[in-house]
Amino acid sequence: MGFKVTRAIAASMLALGTATAHAEAAIDTIDKYVTFSGFGTLGVVHSDYRQADFVGNVIQPRGVGSSSWSATPDSDLGGQANFTLTDALSGVVQVLSRQDANGQFKPTLEWANLQYQINSDLKVRLGRMVLPTYEHSDTQNVGYTLPWVRIPIEIAYTDAGLHSDGVDVLYRVKTGSVTQNLQVQLGRTAVDLPGAEFTSTPATVVVFSDTLQYGDTSLRLVYQKYDGSGFPKVRLQVSGVGLTYDPGAWFVMGDSNYSQDKYFGDLLAWYVSGGVRLGRFAPYAIYSTTRAQSVGTSGLKSLGNDHTVAAGVRWDFAKNLDTKLQLQRVVLDSLNDTASFADVGPSARVGDKTNVLSWTLDFVF
Amino acid sequence: MSPVIRHIRSSALSAVILALFTVCDVRAEEIVVIVNLAAATISKQQIADLYLGRSDARTPIDQAVGSEIYVEFYKKVTGRDSAQVKSIWSRILFTGSGVPPKQLRDSAAVKKAVAANPKAVGYIEKSAVDASIKVAVSID
Repeated sequence: MGFKVTRAIAASMLALGTATAHAEAAIDTIDKYVTFSGFGTLGVVHSDYRQADFVGNVIQPRGVGSSSWSATPDSDLGGQANFTLTDALSGVVQVLSRQDANGQFKPTLEWANLQYQINSDLKVRLGRMVLPTYEHSDTQNVGYTLPWVRIPIEIAYTDAGLHSDGVDVLYRVKTGSVTQNLQVQLGRTAVDLPGAEFTSTPATVVVFSDTLQYGDTSLRLVYQKYDGSGFPKVRLQVSGVGLTYDPGAWFVMGDSNYSQDKYFGDLLAWYVSGGVRLGRFAPYAIYSTTRAQSVGTSGLKSLGNDHTVAAGVRWDFAKNLDTKLQLQRVVLDSLNDTASFADVGPSARVGDKTNVLSWTLDFVF
Repeated sequence: MSPVIRHIRSSALSAVILALFTVCDVRAEEIVVIVNLAAATISKQQIADLYLGRSDARTPIDQAVGSEIYVEFYKKVTGRDSAQVKSIWSRILFTGSGVPPKQLRDSAAVKKAVAANPKAVGYIEKSAVDASIKVAVSID
């Protein structure tokens, strides 16, 4: 009896062991083809301004109003699957939930493309890709990859850096110790336009970008041209230049873009930022601004003008987690379509100052 | 103080200093970057570029994230800590432009992977070097 039981147990353990081995083999096979990852941010913001809502990015219709705290401007959650089909063919799908232009957290497809690696320096992608409009635009929702709580909003004022559906070619050229990453892209996108609130118009977009990497220095050059019918007719061109030096122990960076549109006129946005890394702490400061350079046929003057001074600290307190605290002061230099605010009340005045306190917890998995 | 006690004291001090040096030695065991026997050698800058995702020329292989050798390697070759490396690779991963280096559990596994793939690059303790791979660069 005892013998039988032992045998039965041994047999079932063996069966279990085999099943586990099979399951592991199956998981190994899946692992070979698909990997899953994700990211997210939990954030709260406080603003002391009574006349308008401070927003986390330019498309958000609502933000944080006076004497209140809000989790909607910065909080988000994303999930991604990477597919390895062959040595040369791979794919990526990324879904993001973040407050959108309708004020909802409806999940959207941010990335969904197939890429074919022709050789180690040449790659073609087909599908949906986030535009490389400004530094960090393609990971603006992944808080963990940013040194700050969020991208300085001014740099995204004329172009939110949305995604486009099309094709692009990435080519890497090495010349001595300088590596250039060239990108040419053609696609269909929704372009956001300055105006009382976020409006998007379908347009074709052409992108030329070049990132020159020399050790820890990188120089970004980008040119994007949008063509869209509808009203107003979109003929927007955005030219950007950005420079980063990040040897590890500290960093300095600057980014800028100049946008031209017949209807809205020309605008110049830029920021500079620097920080140091002291063990797990990385304090930083930012100055950012956007300034209209001309008046377009719309007749709107000083579109979006504002400037911001910010200081904060990132603390990498645990593996795959960081927390940031940021204090900033935004000065309104125009009431025509404020860059940093939505829902502007009638008592808002040029020169109004707003103090904003933000706290975030970023994670990747 | 008697000469004997003085002698004992200085011996004890020497022992402590010696012990300290031994501890330091263990902690800072030299790391070497290894490549396949058939592969061309590689510079320290090229290694940094590979492990920070700036180059696809070869296939970098990692040790376990957070292990002593991982932390030392990234500190010495890239000047960055584990969190910074994770942030850099997250930027590459979440733009669909690449995936972080494959992590293997120890130096024996890294050696095996490098010996099997002419494009693979790995890093191990100097004491683990054998004839199955060759040393490209010593990281001191």
